Amino acid sequence: MKKVNVMHSPLGARSRNLLLSLVGSIVVAACGGGAATTENPVTSLPDVGDAPYTGPVAADADVLKFQQEFWSNAKGQDRCGACHNESVGQTPLFVRNDDVNLAYAEALTVVNTADPAMSRVVEKVGGGHNCWVSDPAVCATIMTTWIENWVGNSVAGGREINLTAPVSKDPGASKNFPADPSAFAAIVHGPVLVPNCAGCHSSESPNAQQPYFADPDIDTAYAAAKPKMNLDSPALSRQVIRLRNEFHNCWEVGCAQSAQIMEDAITDFANGITPTTVDPDLVVSKALTLTDGVLASGGNRFEDAQIALWEFKTGTGTTAFDTSGVDPALDLNFSGDVTWFGGWGITINDGKAQGTTTASKKIYDVIQESGEFSIEAWVIPANVTQEEARIVTYSSGNTSRNFTLQQTLYDYNFQLRTNETGLNGDPALSTPSADEVLQATLQHVVATYNPIDGRSIYVNGELVSNTDPVPGGTLVDWQDTFAFVLGNEASSDGLWQGTIRLAAVHRRALTPEQITQNFDAGVGEKFFLLFDISEDINAAPESSYILFEAQQFDNYSYLFDKPHFVTLDGSRPEGIPLEGMRIAMNGQEIKVGQTYSRLITTLSGSQFGELGQPLSVLGAVLPLEKGPADDEFFLTFDRVGSLTYDRPEDPTLVIAETDLDPASKIGLRTFDEINATYAAVTGVDPTTPAVDMTFQELRQSLPAISDINTFLSSHQVAIAQLAIQYCDVMIGTDASPNPAAATMFPGFPFDAAPGTAFGGSSRDLFVNPLIDNIMGTNIATQPDRTAVYEELASFTAAGGRPDNLVDRLVAGGSGTRAISKGVCAAMLGSAVTLIQ
Amino acid sequence: MKKVTGMTTARNFANVFTLGAALLVMASAAHAGPREQAKRIHDRIAGVPPSDAVLASMEAQIAGGNPSAAAYTAMDNVNFYNVTLKNFAAPWTNREENVFVPLNDYIATVIGMTRDDVPFNTLLSADIAYVGRSGVVSAAPSPSNNDHFEQLEANNVNLRDDLVQTQQSTIMGIPSNATAGIMTSRAAAQAFFVAGTNRAMFRFTLLNHMCNDMEQMLDVNLSPDWIRQDVSRSPGGDSRLFLNNCIGCHTGMDPMAGAFAYYNYNEETETMEYTPGNVQPKYFNNDLNFPQGFRTTDDSWENRWRRGQNAYLGFDESLPGSGNGAKTLGEELGNSAAFASCQVKKVFKNVCMREPENQADRDAVAQITNTFRTTGYQLKQVFADTAVHCMGQ
Repeated sequence: MKKVNVMHSPLGARSRNLLLSLVGSIVVAACGGGAATTENPVTSLPDVGDAPYTGPVAADADVLKFQQEFWSNAKGQDRCGACHNESVGQTPLFVRNDDVNLAYAEALTVVNTADPAMSRVVEKVGGGHNCWVSDPAVCATIMTTWIENWVGNSVAGGREINLTAPVSKDPGASKNFPADPSAFAAIVHGPVLVPNCAGCHSSESPNAQQPYFADPDIDTAYAAAKPKMNLDSPALSRQVIRLRNEFHNCWEVGCAQSAQIMEDAITDFANGITPTTVDPDLVVSKALTLTDGVLASGGNRFEDAQIALWEFKTGTGTTAFDTSGVDPALDLNFSGDVTWFGGWGITINDGKAQGTTTASKKIYDVIQESGEFSIEAWVIPANVTQEEARIVTYSSGNTSRNFTLQQTLYDYNFQLRTNETGLNGDPALSTPSADEVLQATLQHVVATYNPIDGRSIYVNGELVSNTDPVPGGTLVDWQDTFAFVLGNEASSDGLWQGTIRLAAVHRRALTPEQITQNFDAGVGEKFFLLFDISEDINAAPESSYILFEAQQFDNYSYLFDKPHFVTLDGSRPEGIPLEGMRIAMNGQEIKVGQTYSRLITTLSGSQFGELGQPLSVLGAVLPLEKGPADDEFFLTFDRVGSLTYDRPEDPTLVIAETDLDPASKIGLRTFDEINATYAAVTGVDPTTPAVDMTFQELRQSLPAISDINTFLSSHQVAIAQLAIQYCDVMIGTDASPNPAAATMFPGFPFDAAPGTAFGGSSRDLFVNPLIDNIMGTNIATQPDRTAVYEELASFTAAGGRPDNLVDRLVAGGSGTRAISKGVCAAMLGSAVTLIQ
Repeated sequence: MKKVTGMTTARNFANVFTLGAALLVMASAAHAGPREQAKRIHDRIAGVPPSDAVLASMEAQIAGGNPSAAAYTAMDNVNFYNVTLKNFAAPWTNREENVFVPLNDYIATVIGMTRDDVPFNTLLSADIAYVGRSGVVSAAPSPSNNDHFEQLEANNVNLRDDLVQTQQSTIMGIPSNATAGIMTSRAAAQAFFVAGTNRAMFRFTLLNHMCNDMEQMLDVNLSPDWIRQDVSRSPGGDSRLFLNNCIGCHTGMDPMAGAFAYYNYNEETETMEYTPGNVQPKYFNNDLNFPQGFRTTDDSWENRWRRGQNAYLGFDESLPGSGNGAKTLGEELGNSAAFASCQVKKVFKNVCMREPENQADRDAVAQITNTFRTTGYQLKQVFADTAVHCMGQ
């Protein structure tokens, strides 16, 4: 066994000073003053002070600490004090009320001061022995907290993790869920889940309750059902246990029969699945499940000033228990769509977790006394688009609050009522929008307040808010009738969508060091997994391991982190090559997320640190398949010691090209091409101010791409305008004719009257060069020249069709140059130049 | 705009347009002889119709069995440089793929390298730039503004005759080994090294010069060991998004975008910064999104696509597949089969006005790509060969 000290910070001692005097004053007020508070079975104050202690004083400091931190909490009539005292006589008498020194001596027999979580009393309540709330794990956590508060400072150097060799087992064949949901649909979903469970476990149910394994969408249902079905042992499926042992909404046939039907269906489904066997060529370690690991979490949060804590460990039901150990417990009840998050947490989809106003009053009472406080949370915002979305609030509605931590887009906002701010806590302190501090990923956020520094917001251990523009004030205007809520406004109109993995309230403004300490402590249930590679490297049995810190990362994945090479027998092997380490699950290597597959290193005892030899600073996120209790992990290696695996290359993609529908072989000239074409065929310099200005104005109105199917009527309007401009410059005006026109149209009398200039064959002196210049000559792919000429200059009306363009313009009474420009523009701005 | 008195309505033009179009469609169905083929080649390459003399010359070249020579004749037209090549390259120089952007150093370099038959596989790695001949415009090339190139465009300077080759390092004020062709041009820096995380430079280079966007490169089986810390592994609390999508692109992209770790575009000074030895702060944006992710320490890069499904991009086995800095990454990309094929496909689209649509087209692209790679990566050759392929029959 190897002992690893995981405590680093001097602040790390888990010493939660219990605010005894303060709580005492609350108790007195509640019991003696007849205050008009409403009793609630979950959140009411425990009856701890009903029998005043009149025995001898504590003999020494440790007994006093025991009395303050453990004994006073445990001796309540609804707790251990109901039996384990001198009047009832149930041994051990560790909460006897006649002599705290005797109680202390008894308590030492049932408490493990080196590892409080392993204490007998914790084991008993955790096992369901007279737990005072519905979840025995909550009692175990609270009991552990009391013991830690008592013994914490006396444990030198903090908590120790004991790495013990796991039971050695080879990776076994395992049944894996087929990708195709059709067998599930035919055997489990259709015949059993939908008829019996769709009343709640479907997104379309009026009472929709996750997981949606009876959803009409088979993919949704299959994804939700997988973690609830145990293919290797169908009787251990969560869906079977819920019916058989927990009597959860059994059907008319009774719980036993319901459970049997469920088990039979899952068995049938599982029988159709061929187990995945481990490839015998692979070089593998021994196998583990996540829960075979040594619990690594807990320990070094700073919790001295913590007055409420929600760790969301329960995982079922509709209550999040306050496990701070500070009475009264501010338990939060779910309403609406709130689901449990894998690896500890709750996800707010469309609901909230709210405490009663009575229980919420703890926050008011304590913070009124301290005058300062901190809100701490580990959150995963579902998106960065929600606004005024309350994450943690102590308020009554949209216009009245004591405090609120909320999200607005990429910002955290902190509203606080003081005598310097409004009743709604405005103006809010926000993180700078430009910094986009809030991200839709796991973040540690702490909002602190004290009258000297005002409000501050820390994200991931860093101070991210600017100086509070509002001077510090007092909290005298706070109301004790508000409700403490996570994920919404008390009036349910400030929904925040996301996941909260931990929330806490402290009665002090945490210092930056304390905030950093809590950020570094992380969140969630973590395990040390020891993968045995002793055989692979010819070491003594159960001596050599690859150690991972592993946790469930969210509902769909695990995080494997900080791989180390470690020995448990004190040996220090040297010079063992290791290459290409992969994590395998349920009989096969995981396809995605293999962070260590390119690792090349040498295992070396000389590099051992606290946890052994670090192999990588990187973490690996891996998909969850069956759930933390059932997914069996092992490692594979391309090379370890003298063993190698010749890994085949992943195949290269072969792109299969397919024929497309035949596209047009012609296209449009685009903007610059049109401009250059007009310049080329008219001989006008495109930098001439008149045409250049027009072109720059029209540039983006002309066709931008050559695909002929994209041509729009607006393009033609722009083309016409540009063509007119070019023709105008090419021909000039009567007052300022362009000499080049005479060269381009030799003999054409621009200065003659229209009737003369365009009379008889004279018009050909203009029209023929115009057509030939613009269209080219003898090009069979251009429009038929005769037809174009007719259209411009010779067609005579019959049957309603207008005359040719020249005659119509002459009839209109314009001058020769104007008519020339019109004919030019019609030709220039036509498909003759546009299409290529 | 000046009005023309006595002008007819747009309806008249529309009539002529419609007629012209109808006649044209009929005409284009007719047999295309050397003269028609010459016309099309010139239209497609230069963007403007040929003069009678040029058309006759090209017609003779085609009739003489040398259509490629006809295409080169068309490339003598200044509009091949001032119009066709300019608008060919312009969309590559900005994120919106907008063709309506002012002339810039990126575009000028593409034009110049094409004109001079500079091996185009050095487009992403050479210490090269093209600027206006001294004195043609008043503004000198500058690392902090685009005035020089905008004046070249505004004055319609002949880019065939008045572009001259120079060293990018001299103009940009960076070491020669920090240049990487057009990737380190001022225009590319302004578009792709601005703000963000510098992944844009990789993505748009892939898009514009390898003809693939990140989605086509999705390979979730590669190791995620080089994915930076800013990529959330559980966006919004759902790691399926990461494990099915994000990871597939970042496994390949992040190891290659490491090459740009010392580059940044400073919006205030409007210059590209190069900080050898100092990783730009943008590489550590949101580094607490996943602290267990990769943390950049230098400008090293690795090409993970040499193995696995994306190996079909055809990287040059004589190169190491890893290195430091943008220049070596540019060599890696520029010498791939995908780079060469992409240039040909882009020219094909530009000249033929459509995608390769059948086996004959695909064979032509393969053949032209092969010629491109084996005869010194001359882009003019690609234009010529493609124009000949699409000149009609």
